[in-house]
Amino acid sequence: GALDEAPGSGLSTDEPLTSLDDITSYNNFYELGTRKRDPSDWAHQLQTDPWTLSIEGEVNKPGEFDLSDVIRPDELEQRIYRLRCVEAWSMVIPWVGFELRKLLERHEPTDRAKYVVFESIHDPDNLRGQRRGIIDWPYREGLRMDEAMHPLTLLAVGLYGKPMPNQNGAPIRLVVPWKYGFKSIKSIVRIRLQEERPVSAWEAMSPEEYGFYANVNPHVDHPRWSQARERRIGEPGRRETLMFNGYEEEVAHLYEGMDLEKHF
Amino acid sequence: MDHQKTAIHGFRVLVLVACATPALWLVWAWFNAGLGANPAEAVVHFTGRFGLALLLATIALGPAFRLSGWVGFMVARRQLGLWAFFWLVAHALAWMGLDQYWDWPWIWQDLWGLEYIRYGLAGLVLLVPLALTSFRAAQQALGRSRWQWLHRLVYLSAALGVVHFWILTRADYRDVVIYGAVLAALAAFRLGCAVVDRR
Repeated sequence: GALDEAPGSGLSTDEPLTSLDDITSYNNFYELGTRKRDPSDWAHQLQTDPWTLSIEGEVNKPGEFDLSDVIRPDELEQRIYRLRCVEAWSMVIPWVGFELRKLLERHEPTDRAKYVVFESIHDPDNLRGQRRGIIDWPYREGLRMDEAMHPLTLLAVGLYGKPMPNQNGAPIRLVVPWKYGFKSIKSIVRIRLQEERPVSAWEAMSPEEYGFYANVNPHVDHPRWSQARERRIGEPGRRETLMFNGYEEEVAHLYEGMDLEKHF
Repeated sequence: MDHQKTAIHGFRVLVLVACATPALWLVWAWFNAGLGANPAEAVVHFTGRFGLALLLATIALGPAFRLSGWVGFMVARRQLGLWAFFWLVAHALAWMGLDQYWDWPWIWQDLWGLEYIRYGLAGLVLLVPLALTSFRAAQQALGRSRWQWLHRLVYLSAALGVVHFWILTRADYRDVVIYGAVLAALAAFRLGCAVVDRR
């Protein structure tokens, strides 16, 4: 099918892949519980069929779309990206997906579109994590327009050549590899373009800990722990964290002139 | 009388099994890929949580004796306290060895740079004099009242442990609130007893 035959990409890393077992059993997806094992244990609570994606706000072609209308098989690629969690662990994951900019361009952003806001599914009847007010549900994230239009920014619909496992954010999720993992919002139901900068879910909860940009940066520590090093899952010991998670060459220009200690 | 001795003996064996079995399980699971995707983190978390739970259980033996009058609770107190110390030392060693990989410059930097590490370490260091004076000879050398005063530091140590856990918690505070509430209840009971005894 389209997923396991998706062509590779020059933007992929050639580092050894994290095992499928680790990728699917060690997850932060609070909709399904806060322990790392919860999302895989409770994955069945996420209903992904049918799935409607709403595209709205500052676009000429807004609307509600069935997932099958959003995914164009010929646009799918395999992208092997590093994923760096704000909790100082990392993985290497072979995503299958397509560039977010392709979807946005199809819906024709207006001149006033400065930011993209994403919203996850809100279904407290089924998702056990959403019955507790740990986060102000639904989960929300946002990108600046130039970040959203960057070729590295992916909407992923699968990994390891298979449909996205529920615990990893089925059926469609964001992947922004130079930012901490929490920016890569899972199980997206709404994409909204707007002029004002949005406030993301973690930022709303604790703005001094989780900035809007959340770029991977070994020189700016989280207030409670260090971000200088990370544990690569499946590997003993720790390795040094790279600026922009190793995507400095591709994305550093987006933040030229910005004080990254202030805009963390 | 024999019945009483058997019950005390049985309780001591129970404490031994309850405190030692998880260590055997942890070693087995470590070598048999039974600890999930991040085994170092699993060991650090388990040793810390279990050690703090045992410390609270040790504190709870005093109230348990007071409420039940059963001397077995007091007989097992030193044993349980030393197990708590054992698990919390294991926690610190697991952090240094499995998490930081014995990288001393990094360990040193985290010790001074990270608040939660400082609180945790302070709580553990406070337990050292308690462990060293837990034996009868030390108790007699110190004298009853000085020994008791010293061993009240266990409340401070447990409080530092809860603070350490609190700082580390991300968003979901349920578990750490349970630890904190148990400690608060035990401290309140102790203070209540002190007031009653003074009358």
